[in-house]
Amino acid sequence: MLKMQNIRKSYRTDTIETHALRDFSLEVNEGEFVSVTGPSGSGKTTFLNIAGLLETPTGGQYLLDGQEVGNLSDSERSRLRNEKIGFIFQGFNLIPDLNLFDNIDVPLRYRGFNAKERRRRIEKSLEQVGLSARAKHLPAQLSGGQQQRVAIARALAGEPRFLLADEPTGNLDSLMARQVMELLEFINEWGTTIVMVTHDPELARRAQRNIQIVDGQVSDLRQTIAQPEAAIA
Amino acid sequence: MFELKPMLSALWRNKVSALLIALQLALTLAIVSNATVIVKDRMEKVARPTGMDVGNIIAATYMPIPTDYDMAGAVIADLDLLRNTPGVLDASVTNQIPLSGSGSAGTYFNEPNQEIGGENANYYQVDSHFIDTLGLNLIEGRNFTPADEHVVGPNDRHHSEVAVISKQFAEKLFPGESAVGRFFYAGNTDKPVEIIGVVEQHLGAWPGWSRAGNVVFYPLLVTDNHKRYLIRTEPGQRDAVFKEVEELLNNRDPQRVVQVETLSKNLERTYIGDNVMIKVLSLVMALLTFIVALGIIGLTIFWINQRTKQIGIRRALGATRANISRYFLIENSLIAGTGLVLGTAGALIINRLMVSEFSQPTLTLPLLAVCAIVLLLVSITAALMPAMRAANVSPAMATRSV
Repeated sequence: MLKMQNIRKSYRTDTIETHALRDFSLEVNEGEFVSVTGPSGSGKTTFLNIAGLLETPTGGQYLLDGQEVGNLSDSERSRLRNEKIGFIFQGFNLIPDLNLFDNIDVPLRYRGFNAKERRRRIEKSLEQVGLSARAKHLPAQLSGGQQQRVAIARALAGEPRFLLADEPTGNLDSLMARQVMELLEFINEWGTTIVMVTHDPELARRAQRNIQIVDGQVSDLRQTIAQPEAAIA
Repeated sequence: MFELKPMLSALWRNKVSALLIALQLALTLAIVSNATVIVKDRMEKVARPTGMDVGNIIAATYMPIPTDYDMAGAVIADLDLLRNTPGVLDASVTNQIPLSGSGSAGTYFNEPNQEIGGENANYYQVDSHFIDTLGLNLIEGRNFTPADEHVVGPNDRHHSEVAVISKQFAEKLFPGESAVGRFFYAGNTDKPVEIIGVVEQHLGAWPGWSRAGNVVFYPLLVTDNHKRYLIRTEPGQRDAVFKEVEELLNNRDPQRVVQVETLSKNLERTYIGDNVMIKVLSLVMALLTFIVALGIIGLTIFWINQRTKQIGIRRALGATRANISRYFLIENSLIAGTGLVLGTAGALIINRLMVSEFSQPTLTLPLLAVCAIVLLLVSITAALMPAMRAANVSPAMATRSV
């Protein structure tokens, strides 16, 4: 599903060049649920941005669903993000001026679906996250957990093959976090590949595989089922 | 792709600033469209053809010092001198100088002793050289001949039997018919005046007069206490002749006070108020449009800065750069459209007041539409730069915590 080979990403100012990712190689198979951990500043977000086509790598090769994406134009990257990738962000990233229905509608409009199809997908995804009755509510009228479920519904509505979650439970209490995590596990069971960046060792342990990033490189690849503590230490 | 409904919802939640810009646009349209109609009216007025070769005509006025002055003899001698001056095409005598703001008018009728239903016109007492001197276009009938000319004293009840009139006046007296060979009556009299010719155009003494263009010429020389000459020069010779005229007349007869001016100067003086009005209103329109453009730029930049994260989220969710630019441009157009609809109503209300209270020209719908389209284009242009800047927000903004 996702194959990165010797990915490099550096940020340059007038005086300093920072290497966020160095010879970063990783392969995620179709249907996998992979957690990504690592200390602050290790390159997790940079990895997530490159994996989600939000940023371009400085070097290396990135194949998404078998397609080399390094040389795509901005519009082609936008189209791929829209069609193949679903995002779940730590801060939910809902648009505060739009109600839930319209929030979920945003990526579907960019996809070019007609109104009937969009409505079908929105209603289905709201039902999947248990928020059908709140379609006309604004995000500010919901709890944090509910907002994150809306963000998941927005990601699900596009029926992506690949879901990227950036600290999806970071702003939630433990009960809400567990509910969101269960939702992600369900989604993964339906066949969606998930890569989740998290600081939470408990959540990382629940993924099928954990990757630790240190200083911009994959430091260890282990089956979390086999060595959960070591993987997130 | 076209997010009208959610866009309207989002605008509704930020309605105060959007409404302020819409109201600013509405006010601008109301003022600009009414100012445009005034400017257009004044420009048309200033650009009206005078019918005369204004750029090559000099006017000289003189007043003799002796009380027993031989005015008729002086006129013959002066005109002979002027017509033989190098650079002069022709010269004529007249009681008033066209476009000077000084003139005479009378009421004219189709029937003898008629008391009501007359038409006012500006009249001139001239000679047979007048039409050629002014460069008027005789479109029907004939010019005066020396045989038509009469000399009368200032206290005589002078009456001419023939006249040349302007086309505009001819159409008023005899609508849809030829006026040549027809008669009119100057005032409440039974003495007919035959129309022997019609000139295409002559603005008369007062271009701002509601009946400017109604003109009658009589072949009369009234020997009153002053006289005026019109001198038409060859193209390019006016300024050289202008310097000579006063000296020529004084040298021939020093017993008089001579004043020389050009018709161009008269015309300029006549329209000075209109030209000032055109400039002031144009400046006001430009300033208002500039201010409204600045307001739109400011609001769009403010909203973009306020929604940088939101733009990043949209980009992350699949919006292309074009989608983002288009979003802000459409949003701006919705605000502008609201403002222009309100402004259209405001413009029509203001115009109705201006027409009824200040006799200003009526604002036509096509002109209002042109003003609205121009303001819409200005608002779109103003929003274009910030909208393109918004398109450059990185999709990675979505994963940033600030």
